[in-house]
Amino acid sequence: MIDGIDPVIHVPKRLAAMAILANAPSASFRFLRDHLRISDSDLSKQMSALEAAGYVQCTKDGHGRGGSTTYRMTAAGEQAYAAHCAALRALLDGAPLPPGEV
Amino acid sequence: MVSNVESDEARQQLAIVRRAEAAPYIDYPPTPWWYSPAVGAWAAGMVGAFTWWRSDAAVFVGLLAALIAVELVFVAWMRRRHGALPMPGRGTPPREIAAAWRGYAAGLPVVALAVALTWWLAGAPVAAGVTFVLVTAGLAAYERRYAAAAAKVRSRLS
Repeated sequence: MIDGIDPVIHVPKRLAAMAILANAPSASFRFLRDHLRISDSDLSKQMSALEAAGYVQCTKDGHGRGGSTTYRMTAAGEQAYAAHCAALRALLDGAPLPPGEV
Repeated sequence: MVSNVESDEARQQLAIVRRAEAAPYIDYPPTPWWYSPAVGAWAAGMVGAFTWWRSDAAVFVGLLAALIAVELVFVAWMRRRHGALPMPGRGTPPREIAAAWRGYAAGLPVVALAVALTWWLAGAPVAAGVTFVLVTAGLAAYERRYAAAAAKVRSRLS
């Protein structure tokens, strides 16, 4: 694992979910599932991991077909996401250029 | 020293971040045809309500309350329909979208000034008509500009 990288957010599906939530007050289960192109059960699993880390909060309105599940990022999630992105950028500051950009 | 594997991984992660951060701004359902005239009618209603400001306080307050209730229901519907409706002040919009937002913000005082001038010269009912025309046309132009900006972002990130 790269130094400064958050192991919970490092998983690409979770990273994408956090990036979406960093740019909207909340995101619906449907939006996240469609953007990440994953199954309902996979998304539930990924969001549960973020929830367990205290990075997102889940709200459920209603039940059945008319019901909806939305997520929003917590203050701890915002800090962790910002630190993760900063660590990635810092890492690339001293990294060799990719092939084709040399 | 950073290894090639680590830097490749970091680049992949930042590519995911760039695409996903843009998603709330560029992945949205088609705007319905009635959106611009509906918002224009709502804004005209707000201005027109002032026709009864001094003559009938109950009608004035009732109209304002009804229009605010309609607005709240409308925003809730929009948020639910979009799924991750972005809001100014949260996150960092792609530069193309930020330019469209700046155009919107620059247009607002122009419309407000035109409506205020019409109100002063011709009264609230006429100003309400002008509000409907300007808000409907302005919003339709903004929607077209936003759609073009979103298409540019999609193309840049694909």
